[in-house]
Amino acid sequence: MVDLASLRPVEGRASAAPSDRHARAIAEHRRSRGLGVVFWLSASWLTLVIVVAAFAPLLGLVAPDESDWMALKAPIGSENHILGTDPLGRDVLSRVIYGARVSLTVGFTAPAIGVGIGLVLGLAAGYYRGWVDEIIGIAIDSWLAIPGLVILLLFSVLYGGSLFMVCLSLGLLFIPSAARITRAATLTCTGREYVIAARALGASDLRIITREVFPNIIWPLLAFVMIDIPIAIVVEGSLSFLGLSVQAPTPSWGGMISEGREYLEASPHLSLVPTAVMFLTVLSFNLAGDAMRKRVSGGRSGAI
Amino acid sequence: MHDRPPVLEVLDLRTAFPTARGMLQAVDGVSFRLEQGRTLAIVGESGSGKSVLSRSILGLLPRNAETGPEGRVVLNGNDLTRLPERSMRKLRGRQAAIVFQDPMTSLNPTMTIGSQIVEVLIFHMGMTKATARCRAIELLATVGMPQPATRVDQYPHQLSGGMRQRVAIAIAIACEPSLLIADEPTTALDVTVQAEILDLLQRQVRERQMSMILITHDMGIVAARADEVAVMYAGRIVERAPVRDLFHQTRMPYTSALLASIPQIDGGRRGRLEAIGGRPPDLVDPPSGCSFRPRCRFASDKCDMTAPPLAGTGQHHFACWHPL
Repeated sequence: MVDLASLRPVEGRASAAPSDRHARAIAEHRRSRGLGVVFWLSASWLTLVIVVAAFAPLLGLVAPDESDWMALKAPIGSENHILGTDPLGRDVLSRVIYGARVSLTVGFTAPAIGVGIGLVLGLAAGYYRGWVDEIIGIAIDSWLAIPGLVILLLFSVLYGGSLFMVCLSLGLLFIPSAARITRAATLTCTGREYVIAARALGASDLRIITREVFPNIIWPLLAFVMIDIPIAIVVEGSLSFLGLSVQAPTPSWGGMISEGREYLEASPHLSLVPTAVMFLTVLSFNLAGDAMRKRVSGGRSGAI
Repeated sequence: MHDRPPVLEVLDLRTAFPTARGMLQAVDGVSFRLEQGRTLAIVGESGSGKSVLSRSILGLLPRNAETGPEGRVVLNGNDLTRLPERSMRKLRGRQAAIVFQDPMTSLNPTMTIGSQIVEVLIFHMGMTKATARCRAIELLATVGMPQPATRVDQYPHQLSGGMRQRVAIAIAIACEPSLLIADEPTTALDVTVQAEILDLLQRQVRERQMSMILITHDMGIVAARADEVAVMYAGRIVERAPVRDLFHQTRMPYTSALLASIPQIDGGRRGRLEAIGGRPPDLVDPPSGCSFRPRCRFASDKCDMTAPPLAGTGQHHFACWHPL
């Protein structure tokens, strides 16, 4: 019998080399054009988490704070409780899903607040330069001089347990980097000829900022948002682990991990399930963000 | 020929930029007038202040630029240096427009070319969206854009450099300005497209009786397409004359050096291309006297002492103590 495997490479090298190179070039091209498998896997997981969290009340789940006294600390795979229950008999699956609402709310709201304010400051500083730039620069540097943890703790002491205040305090911490990125992008964009051309055609400052500068800096900024979302989720997780985020009956991933600590040996799933879900979610945001950034900087979209 | 009314009159215009080493005098007392329907070419090396001059005229300088208080720019009877920013906005694009050097960067990449034209028409001409769109398609056809009705909805990245420059010209002439400034409009384009774009500009200017300032470093372009030439060196006009006079009776040594550095097709295969020795002067710390002195073969002590004024008879003016 002829050993096909040993023949094939020789054959391929002899006759198919050019088309092979061609095929590889096409594959390379596709890979650089598309977002890749990793992106789609990440996006699928994120879609799942977001949809499930958004429609949690419609899923027919046991309420997250309802105790099943017949099944305390049930393990994974129990009847009626796929992911088990905690020491109070509350369904882990339901709690993870409702906990996602807290994490995602913070994950989206905090960067929105930070980037929203940072965008305005950065645009103003980068477009008007001069004293506007200097005042905003000093303000941002001063804000950065206060440790973020102090601000987070201060807010949680003053407004402990309020989800909005967690979002706000985290969002405020995102302002400096958002403002700096916006300012840098605005500086390069404002120096471009089409901005001068717009002025040469009689456009006002407001019009130039909204029509010429903003659409051209939004992509690097969105890529930045994709970095902030997982950071916000992790920080919220840490805060609730410390008991400084939303308070007890409301489930949150960090809170669940913290509650499960005491039962790590007997019922490790209590901590591991929320940990795994959080890990996958944060990783997915990062990977999806990376793919988008590559697309933006690699592709010819004229963004950065 | 000062019988026609001047569209643009520039008097003693000065523009400087602060740098780490001191003030950089980019435009140093430029004066000229431009009559209706005529084309003035402004020629000079890179860094001679041509582009800064064009931007100074329309007040398009960066915020840190400083303009001399004596400078006057009178466009159709309005002194632009005295005009508040609001009125300037109404006038830019309406009475004067610029075509920039690089059409790759002078169009907004996030807007269709149609909406970039439409915006100008709505803002300056008060057209409705629908009429402005029809007018935009007409304008694209005017500047030689094939299939204007489909192209109008395309983005700049879908067009070639030459096509983009046509769009830039369409935007510039949209409101029929009386002054068109073309700032090296073909420098960034393929040689084959350059002539087409210049022809287009020339045709539009002639048909609409516009005046044009054509900024270039290419003496070859100047000969065929301008009425008058002003040669700039170190932020000043050093020679100004009708095209024919400038080429045939060159007076300023710098102009003659510029002309000598044009490659001649019949110049012999082994003939070396003339280069101008030395470097353009440092504009932060310019040489005393005539700014061309360090590179000039005819320089004397007098050139070192005082800068020669721009003077001459008739229409031919030059700034030199030892004219050729």
